[in-house]
Amino acid sequence: MAELNIIEKVIALEAVDLLKNLTPDQLARIAAIAKETSLAPSKVVFEPGQTQDALYVVLDGAVDIFRDGQLLHTARQNEVIGAWSLFDPEPVSLAACGSSEGARLLKVNREDFYDLLSDNMEITASIFSTLVKRFRQLVEQ
Amino acid sequence: MNQVRLFWRSFFDIRPGERLRVLFMSLYLLSVLFAYYILKPLSRALFLNKFDIDKLPWLYVLIAVVGGLLAFVYTNIAVRASLSKAVLGATAFSVACLVLLWFLLKNPADWLYYVLNIWVSLFSVILVSQGWLVAANVFNPREAKRVYGVLGVGAVIGAAFGGSFTAFALKLVGVNNLLLASAVMVLFAYGAFLAVERQPGVSLAGAKAAEDEEADFHFADIVGAIRQHRHLQVIIGIILLTYLVDVLVEFQFSAVAKQAYKSKEELTAFLGSFYGLYLNLITFAFQFFLTAAVVNMFGVGGTLQVMPMSIGLLSVSTLAFPTVLSTSAARLSEAATRYTFNRTGMELLYLPLPMELKNRTKAFVDIFMDRFARGMGGMLLVLVTGVLNVPSRYVSILVMAFCAIWILLSLRAKREYVATVRGRLEARRLDLDSVRISVNDPATMKLLEETARSPLPRQACYALEMLEASQSVNLEPILRELIDSPSAEVRGKALELALKTRYDMLLDEALREIRSYRGGERSGSIEPAVEYALTYSGDGSRLARTLLQHPNEQVQASVLRFLGGSQSLARELLTADWLAQAARSAEPAERRKAALAIRSLGDGHGDLVAALIRDPDARVTEAAARTAAALEDRALVLPMVERLAEPRLRGALIQALAQYGPRIAGTLGDLLMDHKLPLPVRRQVARTLQHIPDQRSVDVLMAGIAGPDPELRSAVIEALHRLRETVPNLNYGAEPVMQQILSEARMYYELSAALSPFRDQTDVKTPAGLLAKTIEERLRKTIRRLFYLLGLKYPPREIQAAYLAVNRGRSEEISTAIEFLDNVLERELKRVLIPLFDAPGHAAEKGREVFGLARLDTAGALRQLLESGDVWLAACAIATAAELRLSSLAGAVAKLEEGAGSEVARVARDAAARFAA
Repeated sequence: MAELNIIEKVIALEAVDLLKNLTPDQLARIAAIAKETSLAPSKVVFEPGQTQDALYVVLDGAVDIFRDGQLLHTARQNEVIGAWSLFDPEPVSLAACGSSEGARLLKVNREDFYDLLSDNMEITASIFSTLVKRFRQLVEQ
Repeated sequence: MNQVRLFWRSFFDIRPGERLRVLFMSLYLLSVLFAYYILKPLSRALFLNKFDIDKLPWLYVLIAVVGGLLAFVYTNIAVRASLSKAVLGATAFSVACLVLLWFLLKNPADWLYYVLNIWVSLFSVILVSQGWLVAANVFNPREAKRVYGVLGVGAVIGAAFGGSFTAFALKLVGVNNLLLASAVMVLFAYGAFLAVERQPGVSLAGAKAAEDEEADFHFADIVGAIRQHRHLQVIIGIILLTYLVDVLVEFQFSAVAKQAYKSKEELTAFLGSFYGLYLNLITFAFQFFLTAAVVNMFGVGGTLQVMPMSIGLLSVSTLAFPTVLSTSAARLSEAATRYTFNRTGMELLYLPLPMELKNRTKAFVDIFMDRFARGMGGMLLVLVTGVLNVPSRYVSILVMAFCAIWILLSLRAKREYVATVRGRLEARRLDLDSVRISVNDPATMKLLEETARSPLPRQACYALEMLEASQSVNLEPILRELIDSPSAEVRGKALELALKTRYDMLLDEALREIRSYRGGERSGSIEPAVEYALTYSGDGSRLARTLLQHPNEQVQASVLRFLGGSQSLARELLTADWLAQAARSAEPAERRKAALAIRSLGDGHGDLVAALIRDPDARVTEAAARTAAALEDRALVLPMVERLAEPRLRGALIQALAQYGPRIAGTLGDLLMDHKLPLPVRRQVARTLQHIPDQRSVDVLMAGIAGPDPELRSAVIEALHRLRETVPNLNYGAEPVMQQILSEARMYYELSAALSPFRDQTDVKTPAGLLAKTIEERLRKTIRRLFYLLGLKYPPREIQAAYLAVNRGRSEEISTAIEFLDNVLERELKRVLIPLFDAPGHAAEKGREVFGLARLDTAGALRQLLESGDVWLAACAIATAAELRLSSLAGAVAKLEEGAGSEVARVARDAAARFAA
C-alpha cells in the first residue's frame, strides 16, 4: 500500500482528540513529522513498565490492548493509542501488540513532537487549551 | 556623617553630563515662575482694588468653572500634540494674550478683571505644569530624585524674584506695564527650553504635551474605583478639604489685605512680596530643612497632619485678631505647608496604588477635584458672607471645623497606607523606581526592612531593591546582615546592591561565596560575588587568573563578563593563544568561554565570532550572539539571521539582533525582502524588527506589507501591530496601509467566494471538509490582519476592542463594534469592510457587489485556490479535486508538481494517478 500523503496524514490526525483544536495547517506540521509504520501480527508496540514515547493512529488493521494479560480493547481504523504519552513519561500499565491481521500505524514521536512545539507556540497554546478543558471537565465531574 | 552625606546628596548629587541639562532646566523653570509671580499678585490686586470683597467668592467659582473647562480643553488638545510643539504654542499664545491684555487694560471694562484672573489661572495650568512635564521628560525617575531639589531651587528663586520684581518695578513702570515684563520672561523661558532640548541625551521627539490618562479618565471609572478602594476615599477626602480650606483662608487674607492697602500699587506690591518672596522663601525652607525630617520622624500620617494642625491653630488667632499679620500667617502656613508637607505626604499616599489607577486618579484630581473643591469653597463663601452676611473673620470657625475632620482623615490615611503598602509588597507590585520623590516614610521603610528579612527569597530581594530605589536609607547594616542569608538569591542581591552603593566591606563574604560553590544548579549569588570580589580585591589580575581556572562554568563566565568592563585586564589575561586554543577546543564549554571572552577583548575577532555563531552547540551560539551584540559588528548580522529559524536559538538571536538597534534596520529590511532566504528565516526577521522600536523598523516592514506569501505577510503585519502598541507615535504610512486593507478585504471576499461551493462540507475526514475548514481558518486570519492594519491607521486600543468584540461573535458586541467602525472609518473603507463584519455569511454576494467578483462553481473555486500561491490551501484543493474526480483541473494540478514543495508535489502526483484511473 502506498505511503500516505500529507493530506491523508492530516485527515488521520483529525481523529486525535488531543489535537482537535488545531487548524489544518498546524496539523500539517505534525503530519510532517508523523511516520507510517507497519505492525506485524503479535508484534509488541509497548509493554507494561515501559515508557511509551509515541502516539499512534491506526490507519489499517487493528491493535490489541491488554491489561494483566486480558484483552481490554481492539483499536481499529482512526483510533488513537497513547495520546497522553506525549506528555507523560511515566511507565505504562498496559500492553499493546498487532492483532492477528496486523496493522498500519501513523506514529508521532515524542521528541520530534517537542521540537515541533518549541517552534510553534500556537500549537502549544491550542494543546494546552484542550488539556485545560479536559481537566476542568474532570474536576467538574 | 552618613545622614549629612545622604542629605547633601539628595539635593546636590548632579553627575557629569547632567550639569548643562540641570542648568538650562532650572533657568527654564526660573523664568516661567518669574513670569507667573508677576501675574499672580498683579491680577488679584487689580481685582480686589476694583471690586468689593463680596465679588471675590464669585471669582473663585468662575475660575473653577471656566478655568476648569479651559484646562480640560487644553489637556484634550495637548494629548495629541508633541511636547515641543506644545511649548512653542503655549509660549506664542501666552505672549499674544499678555500683549492683548496690556492693550485692553488701557481702557478696562469690568469684565476684563475677571478675564485676567481666569487667564492667570490657566497660565499656571499650561506654562507652570508644562515646565514640570518637560522636566519629567528630560530626566528619568532615578535622575529626577537627585536633581529635582536643584530644579526646585530654580523655581523658588524665579518665584521670589518675580514677586520682588513686581513690588519694586511697579513704581518705575506702572502696574499695567508689568504684563509686558511677564511676556519677556515667557520668551526667556522658551529660550532656555530650546537650550534644554539641544542638550545631548535629551529627546523630546516622542514626548506628548499631556499624558493619555489625563484626557482619558472616565468619571464613572473613577467613581467606581473610589467606591472600591478605601485608600482612594481617604485621598479624595483629604484633597477636597485641602482646596476647600485653601479658598477660605485665601478669602480672609484678601479681605484683610484689601482693607489695609487702599491703592492698587500698594496692594500689588504687598501681594507681590507676599506670594513671590515670603511664601516661596518659607516654602523653600520647609522643603529643604523640614519636610524630609518630618516624614522621617512622623511618617505619612504625621506629615499629613502638619497642614491642618498649623492652619487650625493660626485660625484661632485670625478669629480673635483679624489683622494683616494673623491672616498673612494663616495664609503663609496654608500655602507653604500645602506645597511641602502635604504634597510629599500625598505623593506617598498615592505610592502604593496600582500605577494605572494612580495616573487616572491624579488626572481626575488635577482636572476636576481641585476646581470642584475651590468652586465649592466659593459657593460656601457666597452663602456665608453674601447671603448670611457673616463677617469674614468668622470664616475661621469653618476653617477650624474642616481642619478637625482633616486631622481625623489623616489618622485614617496612615492605617490605609500601611495596609495597602503591605499588600502591594507581598504581591511585589510596589513601584518606588517611578516615583520622583525620595521615599523615607518610616512605616514604609520598616515594612521594607521586615520584608527584606523574609524567608521568601523573591520577596526579600524585591524589598531590598525597593530599599535601594528609595535612596533615602543607609543600606549597609541590612546588607551586612543579609549576606549570611540561607538563600543564594538573597546573598547575591545583597552583593549586587553593595556593589551599586559602593559598600566595600563584604570582600571576605564574596570570596567565601565563590569558594563554597560546588556547581550543579545555577546560583544567583555567583555572578555578583565574582564581580564584587574582582572589584574590591587588592590584586584583581591574580584573582581573575585563578577564577578563570575554576572548575565551574558559571564562575568562569562571570569572570569573563567582568573582564568585558575592564579591557586592560582582559588583554593581560586573555592572550591570542589562549583564545585560539579555546575556540578550537572539542569541549563546548571551552568554545563558549572563547565566545564570551571576545566581548572583553573588543573588535578584531569578527571571523572567530562568526564561526562560533555557526557552532553546533546551542549554548556556544547563544554566547557568541551576545558577544556579537556587544561588539555591534554588522558583519555578524547575517550569520545570526541565517540561524533564526532554529527554535532553540531564536530567542537569544532575536535579543542579540535587537540590541544592535535601528542601525541594522536597513540590513534586516534587505534580508526580509531577500527571496533567496528561506521563508521561516524571513518571518523571524520581521519578528526581530518588532523588537527595534524605531521609525526605520516601521519603514522596512512597510515595504514588505504587501508580499505574496500569506505567512510572511502575516508576520510583517503582526510586527507592525506590535510596534504600534510599543511606539504608537511613529509614522505608520497611512496610504500603504489603506491600500493593504483594501487588498486584504478583497482576499477575504475571494476566499468567501471560493468557500461557497464547500460550505456544507463539515466532515473533516474528507479532503473537501478539510478544505472548507482551512478556508474558514484563512478567513479568520484575514480578519485579524485587517484589524491589525486598521490599528495602524486608527486608535489601536479601540480597534483592538472592536476586534475582540467581532471575534467573540456575540451579536450585541458585534453591533457596538460595527457602530464604532461606522463612525471612525473613511467612506471607502466603510463600504468595503462593514458588510464583511456585519454579515460574514453573505460575504460572497457582497464580494460581487463591492469588488465585482464572479460567482464560482466547484471547479472554478478549486482552480482559484490552486492558483492562490498558498501552499497548504493548494494541497487541500488538489486532494479535493482528486476526490471529486474533476479531471478538468488536471492541468492546473500538474503545474503544482513542481515548485510548490515536496509535500504538495506528492499530493499532486497522487491526484494525477486518480485522474488517470
